Amino acid sequence: MNILLCCAAGMSTSLLVTKMEAAAKLEGIEAKIWAVSANEVKNHLDDADVLLVGPQVRYLLPQLKKTGEEKGIPVDAINPVHYGMCNGAEVLKFAKNLIGS
Amino acid sequence: MAKFTQMLEEKVMPVAGKIAGQKHLQALRDGLILTMPLIIVGSIFLILGFIPIDSYPQFMADTFGADWLTKLLYPVNATFDIMALIAGFGIAYRLAEHYKVDPLNAGAVSVAAFILSTPYFTLFTPEGADAAIHVGGVLPMAFLGSKGLFVAIIIALFSTEIYRWVIQKNIVIKMPDGVPPSVSKSFVALFPAFLVILVVWVIRLLIEKTSFETLHNVVGKLLQEPLGALGGTLVGGLIAVLLIQLLWSTGLHGASIVGGVMGPIWLAATDANRLALQAGKEMPEVITQQFIDIFIYMGGSGATFAFAIMMLLFARSQHAKQLGRLSIGPGIFNINEPITFGAPVVMNPLLLIPFILAPLALVVTTYIGMTTGFAPKTSGIAIPWTTPPIIGGYLATGGNWRGAAMQLINLAVTFAIYYPFFKMWDKQNFESEKSAAN
Repeated sequence: MNILLCCAAGMSTSLLVTKMEAAAKLEGIEAKIWAVSANEVKNHLDDADVLLVGPQVRYLLPQLKKTGEEKGIPVDAINPVHYGMCNGAEVLKFAKNLIGS
Repeated sequence: MAKFTQMLEEKVMPVAGKIAGQKHLQALRDGLILTMPLIIVGSIFLILGFIPIDSYPQFMADTFGADWLTKLLYPVNATFDIMALIAGFGIAYRLAEHYKVDPLNAGAVSVAAFILSTPYFTLFTPEGADAAIHVGGVLPMAFLGSKGLFVAIIIALFSTEIYRWVIQKNIVIKMPDGVPPSVSKSFVALFPAFLVILVVWVIRLLIEKTSFETLHNVVGKLLQEPLGALGGTLVGGLIAVLLIQLLWSTGLHGASIVGGVMGPIWLAATDANRLALQAGKEMPEVITQQFIDIFIYMGGSGATFAFAIMMLLFARSQHAKQLGRLSIGPGIFNINEPITFGAPVVMNPLLLIPFILAPLALVVTTYIGMTTGFAPKTSGIAIPWTTPPIIGGYLATGGNWRGAAMQLINLAVTFAIYYPFFKMWDKQNFESEKSAAN
C-alpha cells in the first residue's frame, strides 16, 4: 500500500507520516508512506495508491481530484482534527477505506 | 463571534480558494521557490563576509589577502544576482505545466524573452570623467537580480501565455506538398517560440522610442517601486499579516496564498538590504521576507511558539498537555499545524482572538524596534523560515545579538496576549474532561 501525503511545503504532513508508519507497523500492514510539497505532487502520483491532502491546502483539492481521476487514484482531504492531533491510526484507516472504495 | 466565524466560512473561504487556485498566482508562487535554495546557499557566504566582530575584516585580510571579501562574495553574486533569471524560468515552467505544454521549452523561451527585454549595455562613469560611457557587450547584473524580478515575472507569464495559445490553437504553417512531414513538424515546433520572440522584440523597439528606454524602467517605475513602497510600510505589513491570519482562521494556508502576491515584494526588499550591506550603506527596508518569517511568525503562523510553551508548562487538561508535547517539537521549527488544527484554533472564536492579534502586535513591536534602531534591520541574509526562534533573529540580522533580543521581546508580547485565552481554553477542556470522566 502506497500512501502519498501533500501539503504546502510537505513539512507538516511529514509529522503525520511517522505517526502513520508507527500505526501501520502496529497493525502489521506493509505500507510506504511519504509526504511531498504541493508542486511536487504530480511527479509522485504514479507511485501512489492514494493521495491524502492536508486541510490547509484543501483549495487544491478540485485540481488534484481531477488529476487523481485521470490516473485512477483516490484523492481526499484529511480530517482537520486527526491532522492536528497527528492521529496516525485514524488517517491510516481513512487511507485504507479510500483505496478500498 | 459566531457571526464572525460564519462570515469567514461563507465569505473568505470561497474567495481564498479561488485566489489560491488561480493558475498564474500558483505558477508565480511555485516558480519563485526555485530561487530559494540558491539564495540560502548564497546567504552562507554572505554571513561569512559580514561577521560583526571588529577585528574580523582585518584578520581575514591578513590571512587571505586584501581582496578576500570580493572573492568570498563571488557565490553571492551567482545566486542573489540572478534571481530574476531563475524565477522567470521557474514561473514559466510551472505555468506551462498547468497548461500541459512542454515546460522545459516554455522555460527556455521565457529566459530568452527576458534577456530580449533587457539592455545589452551599461553606462559607466570613469573617475574624473564628466559623462558616462556606453559599455556594450554586457548584461547589467542588477537587472538579472531583484531589480529585474518583476520584469521576469511579467515576461514569464506573458511569454508562456503566447506559447501555450499557439500550441492549443493548433496554429500550423502550411508547407508546400513534397516537404517531408517530419520536416514540416520541426518547423511547426519552432513557431510558438518565434512568435514570443517576435512580440517581445517589437515591444522592446517600441519602448526604446519612448523616454522609458527599456521595459525594466517601465515596470520599475510603474509597478515595482509603487508596490515595494506600499508593501514596505507599517500599514502594508499589517494588512498582509491580517490577511494571512484571516485565511488561517478558516484553516487555509494563509502564508502560501498571500505569499503569491507579497512574495516578490518581500524578496526584492530582502535583496535591497543585501545590496546595501555589500555596499556598506544604510539598509533601506524594514519589512522583508525575514521580518515576516523570523520575527513575526515565531513558532508558525499566529506566532504560536508562546502558546506551545504554555501548554507544555501550565496545562491542566489532558488535551492541552498532550497537544503541548505534540506541538513543541515542530513549533521550534516554526511549524504549527498541530496547534491550528489540533487545539483547534481554526473556527474557534476563543483562540482566534490571540491568533489574529498576536502577529499584528509583533508587526508593530518589530517595526518600532527596527525603525528606532533598538534592533537591527534584517540584513538580506535569507535563512530558511524553519530556523528556530532566537537563532533566527541572530542570523537574519547578520549575527547581531540584538536581533535575538528583539525576538525575546516578541516572545514575551505573544505570551501576554495568548495567556488569558489559554487559561480560559484550558479550563474549558479541563472541566469537560472532568464531567466526561464522571
